[in-house]
Amino acid sequence: MRKPDTTGEYAIPNVGARGASRTDELPMDSDAFAGFYQRSAPGLRAYLVRVSGNTALADDLMQESYLRFLCASRPEGGEVNYRRYLYRIATNLLRDHWRRPGAACIEDVPEQFLAAQDRLSSIDSQATLEPALARMRPRERQLLWLAHAEGYSHREISEITGLSAAGIRLLLFRARRKIARLLRQQIAADRGKA
Amino acid sequence: MMTFRTCSYEKELHQALKDGHWPEGCGQELRSHVDGCVKCSDLVLVTQTFQRARTESERATPCGSPSLLWWRAQLRRRNAAAERVSRPITIAQTFAWVVTVLVGVVFVASQYSHGLRWASWGSEFVPPRAFHLLRFGSGQVGWNFLLLISSFAVLALLSALVVYLAAEKS
Repeated sequence: MRKPDTTGEYAIPNVGARGASRTDELPMDSDAFAGFYQRSAPGLRAYLVRVSGNTALADDLMQESYLRFLCASRPEGGEVNYRRYLYRIATNLLRDHWRRPGAACIEDVPEQFLAAQDRLSSIDSQATLEPALARMRPRERQLLWLAHAEGYSHREISEITGLSAAGIRLLLFRARRKIARLLRQQIAADRGKA
Repeated sequence: MMTFRTCSYEKELHQALKDGHWPEGCGQELRSHVDGCVKCSDLVLVTQTFQRARTESERATPCGSPSLLWWRAQLRRRNAAAERVSRPITIAQTFAWVVTVLVGVVFVASQYSHGLRWASWGSEFVPPRAFHLLRFGSGQVGWNFLLLISSFAVLALLSALVVYLAAEKS
């Protein structure tokens, strides 16, 4: 059974973790982190913006994700694992945000929640994804983004989100079918306008 | 009711999409299958759309300063380490204060129940009398009083030390 923590189902090693007591040095030096940040930040931010639908919130959560990542003990493996671990932290922070009183639950956020002022939407407005994504639930957006934009397997998504792999398979199947239908409708509408 | 079935081509198609081999790098058989399979055409449509969105997002995202984040993380880590180190000391200090106050309260209460003799205490602490108290054969009341205070002080110190060591170990 997984141990609950303040940020979600998974225990995230934090500043109070054992790793911190070994040394005051961060798990990465400044240059290594700068390289990792440049490679991973755009993808992470895109994920947070698409799922939360709130650019300001996404920026806050992204910063906090990197801070926690740096303060935690270095996960085993190379950059692939670092990146997955970073997504896990970000996902837990998102979940933590939705669990707070006053914030909507991840399952209950209305489909129109995606902010209209999102800068990303103006960039790929010509694409059909945005309107279709706006009609999906955050959980569906989360799974679709991780699976199809990031290319994570069911097992990896399970590690990131804390959901069971079998549950992800079913949820993803439904979400994919739903968004494919919406995308086709959007394409047909765009063609009709043209 | 939605039926959940798998397609035998799904894994191959998924890998081709992930590696960017679709459609040019795929055989005619797979391409023909995708044309006729709703599930696989859904997979192609959704994956390509999301991959395109991710590429656009990556181009658009302004990156913050990693050095600032790194510095903030270092600061946070050091603050946490300092807090962790000072926690046992704070606990021990608090405990020592509580014990001292309790001893004082108990002592005052016991004295109060036997009648206040503040004047006699004061007279015991004047230098000639105090000097006199330290000698053997001095007044029994003064000896008991000093012994009591010393015992409680040693007890408080030892308790604080035990709590400090226990807290540090944990």
